[in-house]
Amino acid sequence: MDTPVVALDCVSAGYEGERTATLHNVSFQVRQQQRIVIVGPNGAGKTTLLEVINGLLPVSDGQVHVFGKSVAHHGRWLRARIAYMAQELFFQTSTPFLVQDVVLMALFGQIGLFRRPQREHRRRAFEALEAVGMASLRHRPIGRLSGGQQRKVLLARAIAQQARLLLLDEPTANLDAFAKQDVADLVADIEQALDATALIVSHEQGPLTDGAQRVLRIEAGRITCPAPVTPAQALVLQGI
Amino acid sequence: MFGLPVHILLPTLLGSIIAGILCSAVGTLVVRLKLSSLGFAMSHAAFAGAALGIMLALPQPSWLALVFSIAVALILGPIARIARLEVDTIIGATFPFSMALGLTFLSKAPSAGIGNGGLSLLWGSVLGISYPQVILLFLVLVGVLLVVWLFGKEFLAVLLDRKLAIASGIPADAISTLVLFMVAVVVAAALRITGGLLIYALMILPASAAFQWVYDIKKVLWLAPILGCASALVGLALSLAADLPVGSSIALAAAGFFFLSTWASPKRRSA
Repeated sequence: MDTPVVALDCVSAGYEGERTATLHNVSFQVRQQQRIVIVGPNGAGKTTLLEVINGLLPVSDGQVHVFGKSVAHHGRWLRARIAYMAQELFFQTSTPFLVQDVVLMALFGQIGLFRRPQREHRRRAFEALEAVGMASLRHRPIGRLSGGQQRKVLLARAIAQQARLLLLDEPTANLDAFAKQDVADLVADIEQALDATALIVSHEQGPLTDGAQRVLRIEAGRITCPAPVTPAQALVLQGI
Repeated sequence: MFGLPVHILLPTLLGSIIAGILCSAVGTLVVRLKLSSLGFAMSHAAFAGAALGIMLALPQPSWLALVFSIAVALILGPIARIARLEVDTIIGATFPFSMALGLTFLSKAPSAGIGNGGLSLLWGSVLGISYPQVILLFLVLVGVLLVVWLFGKEFLAVLLDRKLAIASGIPADAISTLVLFMVAVVVAAALRITGGLLIYALMILPASAAFQWVYDIKKVLWLAPILGCASALVGLALSLAADLPVGSSIALAAAGFFFLSTWASPKRRSA
């Protein structure tokens, strides 16, 4: 049997200063090339779940494995190969970074300490920007792009990383309908091109959730939805 | 030039140039990482440390400046957590404490403290700089350049977004600690040039001015040291020509560049 891409075993986790854990005894596995949508009310632990999977938040109990490796022991190595899109990340107008550099920086973790980006890395960054249709804007400051364009640049980082696991936290939040469709199409393209698995936190029904094979519903830090269910069933459960 | 003999003018010029480059280069990291308040606290802690060194009649008070500066950077976070206060509040409390401590140490110094070496810690004494001090500044500059050369891409990743950097496999905590250590070393090394009250100006103003002109961080990292160097030279010339304190003249020049840059900023006009 194939090694699961993501495996959580009785995981509990919480933020510093909080008395109660945000995640309680969570266990589940995700196989390759699945798209999982994570739903649940505000504060249920959806973002925490993504942060635990890529090791941004250490667990207080249980174990997390990604690609068969322990996140606790191989966190940095894994993070360099996982694409993560944070919910709140939008670059301000004054951000002094060019689009091409933002994409290239996704590879810095893979390049490693004391080494410099080579021509190969720059080529990968350029091709990733071409793949999301943003190559012509590569010399623009990232903060001068629209929200939808910034999301595309972040997806270009995933392509440059050749990431086989995408952790996307509300990737279409605050975007118009056209931009939502663009992002959904790009995620589908990346999944297909890289045989990638995607875990997507989403509050809203749309093209991203429609393409999911499985839905995880989280409530008060626990997975409450019997998996697998269809996206439509889960959204009914959530009252959307 | 300005009626000064070459053996005084040359180390003064070299010291000013190197201090301007150093402070503003490190200041770029401080400004972008939003550590300005922390840099402020560290520079004043360095003043208190150097004052203690003078009180104890140490041959190199700068070492205590370094120790105090690093100590403040390391303990502010834990203190804020224990006291359940914002770091900014703790920094606000640290500033008067450091100043009071420094002035107390100077008042107890064996050679009437604040009237002698103490004044140079407060306002700077670039005219009194010696060649060994210039060499020390130069070595610190080489060290900073070496660190930036070794960890340049990690610095850039953290400067873009700390969380994004961690999420792409960058050891951001270690890099942030390295930045704080560099700030502490630079503050301790340049304290004698601009003084504890004004070194902060040379760190923050040229970097903030550089951010007004360009959108590419790599260009900011070049422009800020140029503006820092220009601030130091213009301030020095102003001081010598008008018989003003050197530290405040350098700070005024840096502030002039900052206000000019803000007024003429292409970013402001295109916003």
